[in-house]
Amino acid sequence: MATPREAVHPAPGSPPGVPPAASLRGRSSPLVRLLIALAATVAIFSALIAALGVNPVDAFNAFWDGSVGSKFSLGQTVMIASLLACTGLAAAIPFQAHLWNVGGEGQLWAGAVAAVALALELPDGLPDWLAITITVLGACLAGALWGFIPGILKATVNANEVITCLMLVFIGIALGNYAISTLFPSQSNQTESVPFERLLPNIWEGTLVTAGALLALGAVLIAIVLMTGTSLGFQIRAVGLNRNTARISGMRTGRVIVLAMVIGGAFGGLAGAIAVLGINGAVVAGFSANFGFLGIAVALVARLKPLWIVPSALLFAALRTGSSGLQAQTGISATVGEILVTVLVIMLLAVGVIRLRYAEAAQ
Amino acid sequence: MIVTDVFSLGVALMIPMLWAAYGETLMEKAGVLNVGIEGVMLVGAFSAALGVSYGGGIYAGLGFAIVAGLISGAVLALLYVRLGTDQIVTGIMFNIFAFGLTTTLAVEYVTATRVTSFPQFEIPGLAEIPFFGDVFFSHNVLVYAAFLAAPLVFYVLHRTWYGLYARASSEYPRAAEAAGLDVWRLRYAAVVAGCVMTSIGGVALFSSSGGFVSGLTDGRGFIALAIVILARWNPYWIVAASLLFGVSEALQFQADRLGPLGDVPPDLLVMIPYVVTILAVVLARASRYPPAVGVPYRPSSKAS
Repeated sequence: MATPREAVHPAPGSPPGVPPAASLRGRSSPLVRLLIALAATVAIFSALIAALGVNPVDAFNAFWDGSVGSKFSLGQTVMIASLLACTGLAAAIPFQAHLWNVGGEGQLWAGAVAAVALALELPDGLPDWLAITITVLGACLAGALWGFIPGILKATVNANEVITCLMLVFIGIALGNYAISTLFPSQSNQTESVPFERLLPNIWEGTLVTAGALLALGAVLIAIVLMTGTSLGFQIRAVGLNRNTARISGMRTGRVIVLAMVIGGAFGGLAGAIAVLGINGAVVAGFSANFGFLGIAVALVARLKPLWIVPSALLFAALRTGSSGLQAQTGISATVGEILVTVLVIMLLAVGVIRLRYAEAAQ
Repeated sequence: MIVTDVFSLGVALMIPMLWAAYGETLMEKAGVLNVGIEGVMLVGAFSAALGVSYGGGIYAGLGFAIVAGLISGAVLALLYVRLGTDQIVTGIMFNIFAFGLTTTLAVEYVTATRVTSFPQFEIPGLAEIPFFGDVFFSHNVLVYAAFLAAPLVFYVLHRTWYGLYARASSEYPRAAEAAGLDVWRLRYAAVVAGCVMTSIGGVALFSSSGGFVSGLTDGRGFIALAIVILARWNPYWIVAASLLFGVSEALQFQADRLGPLGDVPPDLLVMIPYVVTILAVVLARASRYPPAVGVPYRPSSKAS
């Protein structure tokens, strides 16, 4: 398997197999290529919308209203961005260590189930702030466990983390469905609701923005400090650049691999806590519109840099809430949001705006 | 007989993963890792639903799915090979794209409520054999074709010039190029053929589910990725490994007849194939991808 690493330009004399600067990508400036990608995305998406019988101009207006057109919808975008920032970090940090954590979706579900279980089951006598803190930390721990399993299997028996992560996604979703159907059943297709005083408080009047947004910002800050100011962050990047060199220079690469996955998983779990305590108040069937997977797109557009995760998450969140606006006004399925986002990312990959470089050939 | 039923159902359930695993083998043996396998299957299943809705039956569905496989293959070949995008990221994005596209379009266009499965066809004589007759020889045509495809895939990969050249381009593409091979064309062929087989896996899944729902594949494509590793790219072992996963999936449907397993809640039984997959990846720890799998190749003759 090859190494993900954000790339600037291939170094001179780069080894065979370094990805191509095919003619489209090599000659024009990044801005031109970005515009090509955006134009192609808009064209493809408009054609699809038109084929579904919606006027693209109406669609654009609905999109605008749903994402940033009003204070309320802006608040919705902020909350979705909080989720995506956390799942973006869940992808970005292991990616920096050359580990494909594509299991953010499972870590999100595991965190959500842990959050709802703790919020409902913690004794009534606890002060609310303490209960919320324990719940959030518990969700991070559950996500961390979901990252630990692929991490330890990678470090010990070199099990392919792409496959183990993806399997844990489906196990996580099944766990969520189990919580809904059996552990904490309710009348509708969700778990019992968390009592109001154990939810994250609202912080912006007139919207549904809760302290979950602050938790996400805090997570970004922690990630910045971790990656730029600690020895572990340095080791994570070193392992990502070249695992053998890192090992020879004395780093315990197995430990770094496990820790990178655990930290990524904890951020995914935090996203689950925000979804339950800050947005839905329960685990709702199918609540995650592929938010875990979209975190990968968020991380890539941010070039794996924690700080850039914030604007990147806001962008993708706006695309998502815009699609919900589209659904509300035109009746087409909100899953067009997935189409829009993935076409955009694939176009960015195709023109080389998003590039990952392979430092070493497959191992 | 409970054992017969579990295995018979297991054989039916292994077929989608078996087709997808063949497709993945062809691609990986040419040096392309298709994590988008799940999306290709989903598109295949959706096309089969369209074929049943508008083309008049499941065989039209098969035709639609083959065309859809060709299109998916062309798109993925362009991305994976010609443009050299990162294969894992592109594959994941393609999966979500396929999920969004099929879900959106299914709401509007899939209307079929008729019978949508391939007809059963018992092989005369062989179907009479106790146990094996029920397990292997009382299925539909796609099942038999899947078993017959194993020697075919093996033959193509190990007994033809194409297979030799493709394997060279998954081992050391630079040397393959130096020997005069066009690595890109070898990979284009593999991606397109592999996507058609994967898409047929989607048809098999649609047929055995009797209808299309959003996200129908539910990880079966990813399980096929694990099957390929566990079977070490050998089509015969792929059949055996697929049977393991088919049976582990069948257990959940027969659980109420299996004593203690019947007490486990269904939402937890769903996890069995996924847990088995993780165990399989752990067991296959000595299995290594061909060195150039997943690494985009830029021919020196086409350097920009």
